[in-house]
Amino acid sequence: MNLSDKVSIPTQVMARTVGDETVILDLASGTYFGLDPVGARIWGLMGEGATLAEICATMLDEYEVEREQLEADVLRLAAELAERGLIGPA
Amino acid sequence: MTVRYTEQPERPLAPVGEVAFHQWVFPDGTLWTQFFRQGAGYLLRFPELADFEVSADGCTVQGFPAPGVPSPTVEHLYLNQVMPLALSRQGKLVLHGSAVEIGGQGAAFLGESGRGKSTLAASFATEGTRFLTDDGLLLEWVDDRCMILPSHPSIRLWEDSQDALVGERTAMAPAVCFTSKSRFLAGPGIAFCDEARPLRRLFLLGEAQVETPTIEPLRPAEALIELVKHSFLLDIEARDMLARHFDDLSRLAALPIYYRLDYPRSYAALPAVREAVIRHALEQSESIEHEFV
Repeated sequence: MNLSDKVSIPTQVMARTVGDETVILDLASGTYFGLDPVGARIWGLMGEGATLAEICATMLDEYEVEREQLEADVLRLAAELAERGLIGPA
Repeated sequence: MTVRYTEQPERPLAPVGEVAFHQWVFPDGTLWTQFFRQGAGYLLRFPELADFEVSADGCTVQGFPAPGVPSPTVEHLYLNQVMPLALSRQGKLVLHGSAVEIGGQGAAFLGESGRGKSTLAASFATEGTRFLTDDGLLLEWVDDRCMILPSHPSIRLWEDSQDALVGERTAMAPAVCFTSKSRFLAGPGIAFCDEARPLRRLFLLGEAQVETPTIEPLRPAEALIELVKHSFLLDIEARDMLARHFDDLSRLAALPIYYRLDYPRSYAALPAVREAVIRHALEQSESIEHEFV
């Protein structure tokens, strides 16, 4: 996966926030994934149709983080979610 | 309960033209239940045992025993598997769990088959703590309180649990033919609570990795995942209903009531488990009451 990629969220995948965590769930397959608030923000931006690079740009405005670290984190999260079928190519 | 059930004469389980949209399979690979669409409703098939036709709204169920399968088996499948699924189609919240009444409030135990939730409920009930359900934990919000509704007044136990807990004190319902579990009716010796009780504690049963009973809190997100895993859901493809179900579970997960309960799975350990659970539930109830004083 590359920073220029956009991703989509399959229609059967839903997210809900409880406490300070977000749980993503594919109710059809029973697959689930927990996100901390930063991960939940990335997930939210994915759902708005931004490219991974645009997500990084937004996050750099909102969080104290090095670009290199952030890009690696976003790419890793996207790969993990894609592997579980919780996001797909746009 | 708001499901109308009728048992029909036996009939062969004829091949179904279409592919099952969902199925339950035991860990050893044995097929347990197939879910088919039938018109607007559903056909649930328990291979070699019975078919159940469920209406689209989950309000009506008809059971069809396979040839030679006794009626108690079919009734048992209906009560423990099909009725919870039908209720889920009505938008009701049903979990794989048992529950007992402690201090006028409900303490529930969630766990997969074989984790000991029925045995634990029976252990309480034979010692005078009334049980609300041994499986099919039906929850309903009344105003801002989540209530546990009582189920049918029986407990199913494996034979070794029966010998250890129940002895010969209790009336037994007819045994069913697909499992060595028997069903016990409530009565003298097994105390049943037939009124709804507020859900005050929900214990997730651990994997018996400890030597003494332990009770540890669960984070809300962990609780939500466990609630999802332990839900009865008839139609996993009805997106609007799934979204509503997830909302209901999220609301439930936000309550401060979730703990992981682990203990050694020996009958000798059960008195200590009961004591730990009762003490924990009562302590928490008192602290909650104090918050409102």
